[in-house]
Amino acid sequence: MERIVNDFTINIATANGTGSQSANLILLQSLFDMGVPVSGKNLFPSNISGLPTWYIVRLSDQGYQAPGDRTHIQILVNPATWEEDLAALEPGSVVIWNSDTKKKTVDREDIISYPVPMSSLARKINPKIAKLVTNIIYVGVLAEMLDIDQECLEGAVAKQFKGKDTAIELNITALGLGRDYCKEHLVKEDPYGAEKRTVEKPQFFIEGNEAAALGAHYGGAQLLAWYPITPSSSLAENIINYIPRLRTDEEGNATCAVIQAEDELAAAGMVLGAGWAGGRGMTATSGPGISLMQEFIGLAYFAEIPSVFWDVTRVGPSTGLPTRTQQSDIAMLYEGSHGDTQHIVLMPGTVEECFEFGWRAFDYTERFQTPVFGMSDLDLGMNRWACEGFTYPDIPMDRGKVVREKDVFEAFETFGRYLDVDGDGIPYRTLPGSGMAPILYRGTGHNPMGVYSEKPEDYFNLMARLKVKIDNARDQLPAPILREEEECEVGIIFLGSMENSIQEIDDILEDTGMKVSQCRVRALPLHSEVEEFIRRHEVVIVLEINRDGQLYGILRRELPNDLVTKVHSVAYSDGMPPRARIYAERILAALEEVKQ
Amino acid sequence: MSDKPARAIKLNVLNEPKDSYTGGPSSLCPGCGHDQISSVIINAAWENGIEPHRIAKMSGIGCSSKTPAYYLGQSHGFNTVHGRMPSVTTGAYAINKDLLYLGVSGDGDSASIGIGQLIHAIRRNMDMVYVLENNGVYGLTKGQYSATADVGSKKKKGAINETQPIDLCAMAINLGCTFVARSFSGSKKQLTSLIKAAMSHKGFALIDVISPCVTFNNNDESMRSYGYVKENEITLHMADYIPHFNPVAEIEVPEGHFRDITLHDGSTIRLETISEEHDPADAMAALTALHEAETTKKHVTGLLYFDPSKPSLAEDLGLVDQALIDVPDEELRPSKASLDALNAEFLA
Repeated sequence: MERIVNDFTINIATANGTGSQSANLILLQSLFDMGVPVSGKNLFPSNISGLPTWYIVRLSDQGYQAPGDRTHIQILVNPATWEEDLAALEPGSVVIWNSDTKKKTVDREDIISYPVPMSSLARKINPKIAKLVTNIIYVGVLAEMLDIDQECLEGAVAKQFKGKDTAIELNITALGLGRDYCKEHLVKEDPYGAEKRTVEKPQFFIEGNEAAALGAHYGGAQLLAWYPITPSSSLAENIINYIPRLRTDEEGNATCAVIQAEDELAAAGMVLGAGWAGGRGMTATSGPGISLMQEFIGLAYFAEIPSVFWDVTRVGPSTGLPTRTQQSDIAMLYEGSHGDTQHIVLMPGTVEECFEFGWRAFDYTERFQTPVFGMSDLDLGMNRWACEGFTYPDIPMDRGKVVREKDVFEAFETFGRYLDVDGDGIPYRTLPGSGMAPILYRGTGHNPMGVYSEKPEDYFNLMARLKVKIDNARDQLPAPILREEEECEVGIIFLGSMENSIQEIDDILEDTGMKVSQCRVRALPLHSEVEEFIRRHEVVIVLEINRDGQLYGILRRELPNDLVTKVHSVAYSDGMPPRARIYAERILAALEEVKQ
Repeated sequence: MSDKPARAIKLNVLNEPKDSYTGGPSSLCPGCGHDQISSVIINAAWENGIEPHRIAKMSGIGCSSKTPAYYLGQSHGFNTVHGRMPSVTTGAYAINKDLLYLGVSGDGDSASIGIGQLIHAIRRNMDMVYVLENNGVYGLTKGQYSATADVGSKKKKGAINETQPIDLCAMAINLGCTFVARSFSGSKKQLTSLIKAAMSHKGFALIDVISPCVTFNNNDESMRSYGYVKENEITLHMADYIPHFNPVAEIEVPEGHFRDITLHDGSTIRLETISEEHDPADAMAALTALHEAETTKKHVTGLLYFDPSKPSLAEDLGLVDQALIDVPDEELRPSKASLDALNAEFLA
């Protein structure tokens, strides 16, 4: 039997609220610390306790981070999904199962079965917390089966239970029990194993939400106004958690205010209030929250109020699948609120970019005096990703065209809040409290002086200037990341967390003989390089995790007519993190259609 | 050269004339109670000697919310969205706590679409003056009842209101609002002193000002007043006709007494000034006074409840002493060393 090393997928089926998340993170971290390229996906329910949860761990020397096509090793602990999980396995798969589970057994002849009395083993340690310990037992069994390094395993336990010595000791004992049971009672019949790898650059694991939160602090966020919602809550909570360390003086006083609002509408209102007063305000929410914020988003656009909104997207419409991932808010963010609008949307695809866009969002919103969205998603935001470290901002904070000094103000021949002095569509502003050129900001029509107006030319000119302003932003926003083949046969345009699946998709496509280039869009409005990329390629696929091809829709509308026919949509979403084969097959089908 | 002596211009403690506190011309219906409130705001700010640029004028949407354009032309203002002025004010306050936030709102804003925001601003004891210009109708959309309309009240068109009104003063007292007052747009003296006191209050100050709508609060009888027009000009749409009235005459009711006030349409409201013996620290007494006034069809005015002991939002936020707007950029962005330390810890 040929050994299969660092190239398989483990699926762990548990119930939520049983402590399985810590066990799974220990498994993930220990593999990571061995240098094995590994990714973990938490498929959890919208529930506190008792509903099915799956955790998918993929080891891949090729660096593939999407969940694999199939499960190679199944951990069965949850009786609720037992039969379903078992039936889904391909012949030859491995099942490690809790043989203490009442009325459940593994009766398939075509799979490798390892029964482990996990509950009895756990009870030996402490009957009171047997349910919790059961989870760490299967990690011990896996450690033995896969040959996971004990030092790395213990290190991962220490990281998970930082400073809690009793918990560390208990978990290490439980891991040992799992290992010992395996050694004494089971014979390895499967080919799977983990092997240490040397990592060129040291890396750590971090969630996108924590990275974005840190980015916000390095952007000098002054107000976080938020309302809890999955999957964005941990972004807000990480901002709060880092305030004592990063934003507090010796007396314990902070330079970043936090207000938990009564709803998303109020959160958005507070962000606008902060921007109006001259500060850096932000909120973190998800699609349903953005839906509620629409009215304020339009006000921010029309009255030109700096404001930052992070949307960690989940599956819609409506409440949708609150704990699953999707890229379906693109259109809503780009054209948020009633009337003609167009917004800046930053779309990070890595944790490093979550950090970077975290601070840049404030620079953009103040430079362009318009709302700026950060669009992450549940997959990027709530799962852990490898990171080499965060880079400190290389430019000072860009506070935009704010007139703070009297002499600067007096140098203006005429000062109008909405007067386009420089021809770039961006006017100058003074701040409340300054006494300079006070106006009553409003969401109603206004002339360049900021005075209420219903005159046709005032309205027309204002809307035209806003269009120029946002258009000018295109090439000042993060440029797309291009990975191009010389042949320029097939180009794929994609965004955000699809970054984690694209290389595998690319490899599947290239196995069929074609040459595939990649263009990862990182901001809206689209950078001019995107158009150039399309121009250079014969056929371009726009790949998205949604039903309707929202980015494709934007491209179709904005591209010159001669390029529109080159562009084809492949949009798919079932709530799961993108699995490479599903998207690759749909791309192949789309290309086939193009040929015909 | 004229030998007439220059007319002496009255100045306040800042040597500012009252003109420094005025705004643009009002576009409200002539005789609107809201305009009287605007002039009281001008007076109060001027007499209190507040630098006009240190005031931030906040409002939502509606007739009342248009008024910040008509006073304090030297102050920045924000006419936000319907009912959501409290949240915008809260965000601005977090950034610049040194300004005096003067919010003006209506009963559509505060008792319906924005009642949640009002409640939560009270709950946070947000440091602001909240003037509620309360007329029981939606004016800009031409006369629908609002949630503060009294049971049995009649508007120009349509049925009698039979839905229970919301008494925002009673609600605010129950919520622990730290300054709760009721007044009348025509009671200039009382209203001036209440607004002046509210400006000095640290915390949320609600002043519910009864400000009758001259156009849409007309009952059936009032329709007779322009019956002539109706009979003689068939094509004229009633809803487009804005009658002209003089403002309600100034009215002062001595403490502990009541007086009937005749409105433009001939109807009366009975205003009672809360007695000198009323202890504003006594929430139960304030609620009793409101309840008794309601059962005897009176509107009790004056400072109903006052509690200066509660911390305001500024104290809850745990911020540095200086307003955040004054913190320099280099102090807002954490140092490079702090990020290096974080990266190192993550890698460890």
